[in-house]
Amino acid sequence: MNKQELIESQQDIAVHGARRGDFVRLGDTQLVVRVEADDREIGNEVQIGFGKNLRDGIGMRSVATTESCDVVITNVLIIDAILGIRVSSIGIRNGRIVAIGRAGNPDTMDDIDVVVGSGSIVIPGEGLIATAGGIDTHVHAMSPRVCDAALSSGVTTIITQEFGPFWGVGVGSKWALEHARNMYGAWPLNVGILGRAAGSTNAPLHEAIAGGVCGFKIHEDTGAHPRTIDTALTFADEYDVAVALHSDGLNEMLSVADTIKVIAGRAVHAFHVEGCGGGHTPDVLQLAGRENILASSTNPTLAYGVNAADEHVAMIISAHGMNPELPSDVQMARNRVRNATMAAENRLHDMGVIPVTSSDALGMGRVDDTWRKTFAMASMFADESILDGSVAANEVVTDNERVLRHVAKITINPALVHGLSHEIGSIQIGLLADLVLWPYSSFASKPNMIIKNGLPAWGVVGDPGATVTNAQPLLIGPQFGAFGVTAEDLAVQFTNSAFTAPNGRRKNVAVRNTRTITSSQMIRHGILGEVHVDPTGHVVTFDGQHLTQQPQNAATLTRTYLL
Amino acid sequence: MELTPSEQDRLLIFNVAQLAQARRARGVRLNKPEAIALISHTVIESARDGNSHAQALAAGLTAISNNELLPGIGSMLRGVAVEAVFDDGRRLVVVDYETSDSEAPGQVTRLEPILPHVKSGAVTISVHNNAAIQISVTTHMHFFEVNPHLSFDREATYGMHLDIRAGEHIDFPSGDSVTVQLVPITGDRVLIGFAGLVDGPLDEPGMKERAMERARTLGYLGEKNE
Repeated sequence: MNKQELIESQQDIAVHGARRGDFVRLGDTQLVVRVEADDREIGNEVQIGFGKNLRDGIGMRSVATTESCDVVITNVLIIDAILGIRVSSIGIRNGRIVAIGRAGNPDTMDDIDVVVGSGSIVIPGEGLIATAGGIDTHVHAMSPRVCDAALSSGVTTIITQEFGPFWGVGVGSKWALEHARNMYGAWPLNVGILGRAAGSTNAPLHEAIAGGVCGFKIHEDTGAHPRTIDTALTFADEYDVAVALHSDGLNEMLSVADTIKVIAGRAVHAFHVEGCGGGHTPDVLQLAGRENILASSTNPTLAYGVNAADEHVAMIISAHGMNPELPSDVQMARNRVRNATMAAENRLHDMGVIPVTSSDALGMGRVDDTWRKTFAMASMFADESILDGSVAANEVVTDNERVLRHVAKITINPALVHGLSHEIGSIQIGLLADLVLWPYSSFASKPNMIIKNGLPAWGVVGDPGATVTNAQPLLIGPQFGAFGVTAEDLAVQFTNSAFTAPNGRRKNVAVRNTRTITSSQMIRHGILGEVHVDPTGHVVTFDGQHLTQQPQNAATLTRTYLL
Repeated sequence: MELTPSEQDRLLIFNVAQLAQARRARGVRLNKPEAIALISHTVIESARDGNSHAQALAAGLTAISNNELLPGIGSMLRGVAVEAVFDDGRRLVVVDYETSDSEAPGQVTRLEPILPHVKSGAVTISVHNNAAIQISVTTHMHFFEVNPHLSFDREATYGMHLDIRAGEHIDFPSGDSVTVQLVPITGDRVLIGFAGLVDGPLDEPGMKERAMERARTLGYLGEKNE
């Protein structure tokens, strides 16, 4: 490009954001995506504001929102595991996505997919990336503030195991669960609660089902014995709910092969499959790569770093009620920390073997770090030829697939594993409009707006007395959608199909298709194979290939943004 | 002190700015929140010292030098907005920090210029502004129905809009003539509202004649347009 063309291009990017063919660097990562499509017509882009074309009769059609949209997010760069990487507009009615494509008024513009009504709310998306809301399937809500932190990081759904600073790892009490459902109504956050699967008999599980849980948690701290595993999975098959597994880290009753035998081909979500978070020592990672075992990671071991091992011993002791004065406790903790499995775990993510990331919030993970660590990890494996400019204009060597794979890990795949995908997990017509808008410059680290059921519910707010919305100090916190009874209206409670009790204003949604889900169905993943960890825990192979990875000195998405 | 929410927010800026200053003093290069706090704080304190808006802005621009920032931070310091209390009241200051750092998180790279969509059926007309004030017309407005004080061949502009980039406009200064290019409105070509001259499908039989008659009746084609 000559100088004039360069200046015009920079102006165009500043006004309209990226277009088809443009390269966009995600935050401060090494990841660069190329925009695959742009649903706008060049020259006919709709814009809102003074002297712009989204006005009555021009870009806005003078019809009621029943014939247009309640809310339109215009000209936003969508990065969605299913939809791909495209500039488009998203139309929302009654809290659901009703249209995706070119926005405007079909009376005056060609090929309009998203009708902007004269009464529609417009959220300009130029310069922003839209993703589906993050889904964190591993949250220990030991503090109510975990909900604030989750929303502030771009998470709109949590699958939780507690609602207070008590020993939970799943809750069975119907009485307590009823209170829990009411408490969670305070946040514009979808919530599902896991019941405790520590039952040798069905009675505790029946009670949890009656209390409205959306699945069960098997945890070694409350018993991951052959009987509890089998009881939970048998029960889950009957009620179509998911089962999360933190297996027997002591190998007290079972080795990893025995656990696989007890599971007997049934669907189970293997939490923190690397093992620092718990599970068979030293080889729980062998659960990954299997068809019926949906494996996930928790975020402290992601973007494998030089300090990862050092922090984990203290973390394990503190999170699991152990005592640093007891040498046997310290030894048990140390046994769980292995550099080789952390390194291999990161590789298995990039290869598409482990399909889900989560936090393990307040129980050995950080609720507001899952987007950040997932993409910091992706950045470790980025194709550097793009950044250094050696890629030609027509060459297709971008990190699109890698980025979409990592978006899948925190959106659609956890939705599939826990039976939520009929409501959330992707930017698709018919799903709830749970969306996160990110500036290109802080993607996956600091969101700009969290849209819950179509309305701004959380996000960046500025000096409340100022003339403009963006006066410092900018803070990430509640938006209007978090106030009044609206918070209850904007989120759902994920429950089971046998649960019919009313739940205040908050809608109950039964999870479904949790028992037939397989690793092969994981979006942009589904690579199966044999993970082998040698008995020392120091050598990990995948189908015989040795998996190694040097720890990073510095992770992206971190120092640039965090105080 | 009776501090308002807005005043309490000032203290957050102060806290982070102090932290940033301490870190800078140790030789630590600053990140985004640190740098923004330091710029904002500098503006606020300049205003407190009795300086003018221009002086406070200048202080904000020079609050940090490039070599005190982590790589890539400078690019994220454009449009740092802060409200400071000046002697004549609270005023908004927007600091567009200049950086020589070529690294930019979120950078968009375009290798080829975009080609504008080619539109057929363009017409060129001369437009004279009879009004005592400037009139501006935006890109997608139905040109046939613009301000009656603009004099031009209205019939030729039936169903047309300005052929300029979306979101832009053309100014018609008082007493001047300006030549503009117009292109046909696309889509279903149904115009509802505006001045009510069409209020229906543009290409319906008889619609153009009716619109011309309405334009005549309502003074869009009156003497001042001759």
